[in-house]
Amino acid sequence: MATTTAAVTLTSDLLSDNISVNASTTCMKAGTTADGLDQIEYGYVEIASGTAYDIIGNTPTASKASKLYVKNHSTDETYYISVVLDAQAIGRLYGGDWMFIPANFHDANADVEITATGGTNKIEYALFHEGTVLVAS
Amino acid sequence: MATKATISISSDIASGFGGISEEMTLTQAGTLTDIDSTTGFQIRKLAAASEVDLITMANELVEPEDSQAAKIFIRNIGYRGVTDKSVGVTIGVNSEPIGKLYGGDWMMMPLTTIDADDVTATPETADTVVIEYVMFYEEA
Repeated sequence: MATTTAAVTLTSDLLSDNISVNASTTCMKAGTTADGLDQIEYGYVEIASGTAYDIIGNTPTASKASKLYVKNHSTDETYYISVVLDAQAIGRLYGGDWMFIPANFHDANADVEITATGGTNKIEYALFHEGTVLVAS
Repeated sequence: MATKATISISSDIASGFGGISEEMTLTQAGTLTDIDSTTGFQIRKLAAASEVDLITMANELVEPEDSQAAKIFIRNIGYRGVTDKSVGVTIGVNSEPIGKLYGGDWMMMPLTTIDADDVTATPETADTVVIEYVMFYEEA
Protein backbone atom coordinates (compact mmCIF):
# COMPACT_ATOMS: atom_id res chain seq x y z
CA MET A 1 0.00 0.00 0.00
CA ALA A 2 1.27 3.43 -0.86
CA THR A 3 1.45 5.69 2.15
CA THR A 4 0.97 9.44 2.09
CA THR A 5 1.00 11.31 5.37
CA ALA A 6 0.09 14.95 5.88
CA ALA A 7 0.93 16.65 9.16
CA VAL A 8 0.31 20.17 10.37
CA THR A 9 1.49 22.23 13.29
CA LEU A 10 -0.57 25.32 14.04
CA THR A 11 0.42 27.82 16.70
CA SER A 12 -0.95 31.23 17.61
CA ASP A 13 -0.55 33.72 20.40
CA LEU A 14 -3.69 35.71 19.61
CA LEU A 15 -5.37 34.33 22.71
CA SER A 16 -3.98 34.50 26.24
CA ASP A 17 -3.84 30.72 26.26
CA ASN A 18 -1.87 29.96 23.14
CA ILE A 19 -3.32 27.79 20.41
CA SER A 20 -1.14 24.81 19.62
CA VAL A 21 -2.34 22.04 17.35
CA ASN A 22 -0.50 19.05 15.98
CA ALA A 23 -2.42 16.85 13.58
CA SER A 24 -1.41 14.10 11.20
CA THR A 25 -3.42 12.00 8.82
CA THR A 26 -2.72 9.13 6.48
CA CYS A 27 -4.45 9.81 3.18
CA MET A 28 -6.64 6.84 2.30
CA LYS A 29 -8.79 6.07 -0.72
CA ALA A 30 -12.44 7.02 -0.31
CA GLY A 31 -14.29 4.84 2.14
CA THR A 32 -11.38 2.53 2.90
CA THR A 33 -9.30 1.93 5.98
CA ALA A 34 -6.49 -0.07 4.44
CA ASP A 35 -5.77 1.29 0.97
CA GLY A 36 -3.85 4.54 0.57
CA LEU A 37 -3.99 7.07 -2.23
CA ASP A 38 -1.67 5.77 -4.90
CA GLN A 39 -1.30 8.42 -7.59
CA ILE A 40 0.23 11.88 -7.62
CA GLU A 41 0.37 14.97 -9.81
CA TYR A 42 3.06 17.38 -8.70
CA GLY A 43 4.02 20.59 -10.40
CA TYR A 44 5.30 24.13 -10.32
CA VAL A 45 3.96 26.86 -12.57
CA GLU A 46 4.29 30.57 -13.01
CA ILE A 47 0.95 32.26 -13.56
CA ALA A 48 0.79 35.70 -15.11
CA SER A 49 -1.67 38.23 -13.75
CA GLY A 50 -5.22 38.38 -14.91
CA THR A 51 -6.08 35.08 -16.51
CA ALA A 52 -7.87 32.20 -14.81
CA TYR A 53 -6.27 28.75 -15.09
CA ASP A 54 -7.27 25.30 -13.91
CA ILE A 55 -4.48 24.14 -11.62
CA ILE A 56 -5.12 20.46 -12.30
CA GLY A 57 -4.47 19.19 -15.82
CA ASN A 58 -6.51 16.01 -15.83
CA THR A 59 -9.86 15.57 -14.17
CA PRO A 60 -9.51 13.37 -11.08
CA THR A 61 -12.16 10.75 -10.51
CA ALA A 62 -15.19 12.43 -9.00
CA SER A 63 -16.19 12.18 -5.36
CA LYS A 64 -13.09 10.37 -4.20
CA ALA A 65 -10.68 11.26 -1.41
CA SER A 66 -8.18 13.37 -3.36
CA LYS A 67 -6.06 15.81 -1.40
CA LEU A 68 -4.73 19.02 -2.92
CA TYR A 69 -1.81 21.09 -1.69
CA VAL A 70 -1.13 24.52 -3.20
CA LYS A 71 1.54 26.99 -2.17
CA ASN A 72 2.14 30.50 -3.47
CA HIS A 73 5.92 30.85 -3.57
CA SER A 74 5.81 34.49 -4.63
CA THR A 75 8.12 36.53 -2.42
CA ASP A 76 6.16 39.76 -2.81
CA GLU A 77 3.52 39.80 -0.06
CA THR A 78 1.15 41.86 -2.21
CA TYR A 79 0.91 39.16 -4.86
CA TYR A 80 -1.89 36.65 -4.52
CA ILE A 81 -3.93 34.05 -6.31
CA SER A 82 -7.68 33.79 -6.04
CA VAL A 83 -8.89 30.22 -5.66
CA VAL A 84 -12.25 29.32 -7.19
CA LEU A 85 -14.03 25.97 -7.22
CA ASP A 86 -17.04 25.47 -9.48
CA ALA A 87 -17.56 29.24 -9.76
CA GLN A 88 -17.49 29.57 -5.96
CA ALA A 89 -14.73 31.85 -4.68
CA ILE A 90 -12.87 30.13 -1.85
CA GLY A 91 -10.25 32.67 -0.88
CA ARG A 92 -6.84 34.14 -1.59
CA LEU A 93 -3.36 32.74 -1.17
CA TYR A 94 -0.87 35.56 -0.76
CA GLY A 95 2.86 35.17 -1.31
CA GLY A 96 4.06 32.54 1.18
CA ASP A 97 0.60 31.11 1.89
CA TRP A 98 -0.35 27.46 1.36
CA MET A 99 -3.53 25.44 1.55
CA PHE A 100 -4.29 21.75 1.93
CA ILE A 101 -7.81 20.58 1.18
CA PRO A 102 -9.77 17.46 0.39
CA ALA A 103 -10.99 17.86 -3.17
CA ASN A 104 -13.75 15.64 -4.44
CA PHE A 105 -14.09 17.10 -7.96
CA HIS A 106 -17.75 16.17 -7.74
CA ASP A 107 -18.65 17.20 -11.26
CA ALA A 108 -17.10 18.41 -14.48
CA ASN A 109 -17.23 22.02 -13.31
CA ALA A 110 -15.50 21.38 -10.03
CA ASP A 111 -11.99 22.09 -11.23
CA VAL A 112 -9.78 24.19 -8.98
CA GLU A 113 -9.22 27.47 -10.76
CA ILE A 114 -6.66 30.10 -9.83
CA THR A 115 -6.20 33.68 -10.98
CA ALA A 116 -3.04 35.64 -10.23
CA THR A 117 -2.99 39.27 -9.12
CA GLY A 118 -0.12 41.69 -8.65
CA GLY A 119 2.34 40.07 -11.02
CA THR A 120 3.55 36.64 -12.04
CA ASN A 121 2.83 34.29 -9.14
CA LYS A 122 4.92 31.16 -8.58
CA ILE A 123 2.71 28.26 -7.65
CA GLU A 124 3.63 24.78 -6.38
CA TYR A 125 0.90 22.17 -6.26
CA ALA A 126 0.52 18.50 -5.45
CA LEU A 127 -2.57 16.39 -5.97
CA PHE A 128 -2.72 13.01 -4.27
CA HIS A 129 -5.50 10.94 -5.77
CA GLU A 130 -6.78 7.54 -6.84
CA GLY A 131 -7.29 8.01 -10.55
CA THR A 132 -7.95 10.58 -13.24
CA VAL A 133 -9.96 10.71 -16.42
CA LEU A 134 -7.09 10.68 -18.87
CA VAL A 135 -7.41 12.40 -22.20
CA ALA A 136 -6.84 10.08 -25.15
CA SER A 137 -4.17 11.22 -27.59
CA MET B 1 5.25 34.33 17.90
CA ALA B 2 2.39 35.33 15.66
CA THR B 3 0.24 32.71 14.01
CA LYS B 4 2.12 30.07 12.10
CA ALA B 5 1.18 26.89 10.27
CA THR B 6 3.66 24.29 9.14
CA ILE B 7 2.79 21.45 6.79
CA SER B 8 4.80 18.29 6.22
CA ILE B 9 3.79 15.82 3.53
CA SER B 10 5.58 12.56 2.95
CA SER B 11 4.68 9.96 0.36
CA ASP B 12 6.13 6.86 -1.22
CA ILE B 13 3.82 6.96 -4.26
CA ALA B 14 6.67 8.12 -6.47
CA SER B 15 10.29 7.49 -5.58
CA GLY B 16 11.31 10.92 -6.84
CA PHE B 17 8.94 12.79 -4.58
CA GLY B 18 11.06 14.22 -1.83
CA GLY B 19 8.24 15.42 0.38
CA ILE B 20 6.98 18.86 1.29
CA SER B 21 7.76 20.88 4.36
CA GLU B 22 6.60 24.49 4.39
CA GLU B 23 5.77 27.08 7.02
CA MET B 24 3.56 30.10 6.63
CA THR B 25 2.97 33.03 8.91
CA LEU B 26 -0.62 34.19 8.72
CA THR B 27 -0.55 37.86 7.84
CA GLN B 28 -3.04 40.49 6.90
CA ALA B 29 -3.74 40.83 3.20
CA GLY B 30 -0.88 42.25 1.17
CA THR B 31 1.26 43.07 4.19
CA LEU B 32 3.77 41.52 6.58
CA THR B 33 1.58 42.46 9.55
CA ASP B 34 0.39 39.50 11.62
CA ILE B 35 -3.24 38.52 11.28
CA ASP B 36 -5.05 39.83 14.34
CA SER B 37 -8.40 38.12 14.87
CA THR B 38 -9.62 34.61 15.48
CA THR B 39 -12.80 32.81 16.35
CA GLY B 40 -10.79 30.77 18.81
CA PHE B 41 -10.91 27.01 18.82
CA GLN B 42 -14.37 25.53 18.50
CA ILE B 43 -15.90 22.09 18.18
CA ARG B 44 -19.21 21.02 16.71
CA LYS B 45 -20.76 17.62 17.40
CA LEU B 46 -22.82 16.37 14.47
CA ALA B 47 -25.25 13.47 14.59
CA ALA B 48 -27.33 13.76 11.44
CA ALA B 49 -26.58 13.48 7.75
CA SER B 50 -27.64 17.02 7.01
CA GLU B 51 -25.83 20.25 6.25
CA VAL B 52 -25.02 22.66 9.06
CA ASP B 53 -23.02 25.86 9.23
CA LEU B 54 -19.72 25.66 11.04
CA ILE B 55 -19.32 29.37 10.52
CA THR B 56 -22.17 31.68 9.53
CA MET B 57 -20.27 34.71 8.33
CA ALA B 58 -23.06 37.20 8.87
CA ASN B 59 -23.44 36.09 12.49
CA GLU B 60 -19.86 36.57 13.60
CA LEU B 61 -19.73 38.87 16.61
CA VAL B 62 -16.82 40.68 15.03
CA GLU B 63 -17.47 41.29 11.35
CA PRO B 64 -14.66 39.83 9.22
CA GLU B 65 -13.24 42.01 6.47
CA ASP B 66 -14.25 40.56 3.12
CA SER B 67 -11.83 39.14 0.56
CA GLN B 68 -8.67 39.45 2.61
CA ALA B 69 -6.28 36.78 3.89
CA ALA B 70 -8.54 34.73 6.17
CA LYS B 71 -7.76 31.05 6.77
CA ILE B 72 -9.58 28.21 8.44
CA PHE B 73 -8.28 24.98 9.94
CA ILE B 74 -10.80 22.14 10.20
CA ARG B 75 -10.31 18.59 11.46
CA ASN B 76 -12.55 15.55 11.78
CA ILE B 77 -11.64 14.24 15.22
CA GLY B 78 -14.16 11.40 15.28
CA TYR B 79 -16.05 10.79 18.47
CA ARG B 80 -14.74 9.93 21.91
CA GLY B 81 -11.31 9.12 20.64
CA VAL B 82 -12.45 6.89 17.81
CA THR B 83 -11.92 8.04 14.23
CA ASP B 84 -13.41 6.23 11.27
CA LYS B 85 -11.49 6.49 8.00
CA SER B 86 -14.33 4.91 6.06
CA VAL B 87 -16.89 7.69 6.51
CA GLY B 88 -16.49 11.41 6.23
CA VAL B 89 -17.91 14.88 6.52
CA THR B 90 -18.19 17.03 3.42
CA ILE B 91 -16.92 20.54 3.99
CA GLY B 92 -18.34 23.27 1.80
CA VAL B 93 -18.33 26.99 1.21
CA ASN B 94 -21.69 28.58 0.44
CA SER B 95 -22.98 25.00 0.04
CA GLU B 96 -20.42 24.27 -2.69
CA PRO B 97 -18.74 20.98 -1.69
CA ILE B 98 -14.99 21.31 -1.34
CA GLY B 99 -14.21 17.78 -0.26
CA LYS B 100 -14.74 15.18 2.41
CA LEU B 101 -12.77 14.94 5.65
CA TYR B 102 -12.58 11.32 6.71
CA GLY B 103 -11.79 10.40 10.28
CA GLY B 104 -8.58 12.12 11.35
CA ASP B 105 -8.31 14.18 8.18
CA TRP B 106 -7.63 17.90 8.41
CA MET B 107 -7.63 20.83 6.05
CA MET B 108 -6.38 24.40 5.92
CA MET B 109 -7.83 26.75 3.34
CA PRO B 110 -8.28 30.43 2.63
CA LEU B 111 -11.71 32.03 2.96
CA THR B 112 -13.36 35.08 1.44
CA THR B 113 -15.40 35.61 4.68
CA ILE B 114 -18.09 37.22 2.51
CA ASP B 115 -21.45 36.94 4.26
CA ALA B 116 -22.84 34.42 1.78
CA ASP B 117 -19.74 32.22 1.98
CA ASP B 118 -20.63 30.27 5.10
CA VAL B 119 -18.51 27.25 5.93
CA THR B 120 -20.70 24.15 5.98
CA ALA B 121 -20.36 20.56 7.12
CA THR B 122 -22.43 17.60 5.96
CA PRO B 123 -21.81 14.21 7.59
CA GLU B 124 -22.05 11.16 5.37
CA THR B 125 -24.03 9.26 8.02
CA ALA B 126 -25.96 9.98 11.19
CA ASP B 127 -23.18 8.51 13.34
CA THR B 128 -21.89 11.07 15.81
CA VAL B 129 -18.77 12.87 14.69
CA VAL B 130 -16.98 15.92 16.05
CA ILE B 131 -15.43 18.63 13.92
CA GLU B 132 -12.91 21.04 15.40
CA TYR B 133 -12.08 24.32 13.70
CA VAL B 134 -10.52 27.71 14.10
CA MET B 135 -10.71 30.69 11.76
CA PHE B 136 -8.18 33.51 11.53
CA TYR B 137 -9.27 36.75 9.89
CA GLU B 138 -9.11 40.52 9.81
CA GLU B 139 -11.71 42.73 11.42
CA ALA B 140 -13.85 44.90 9.15
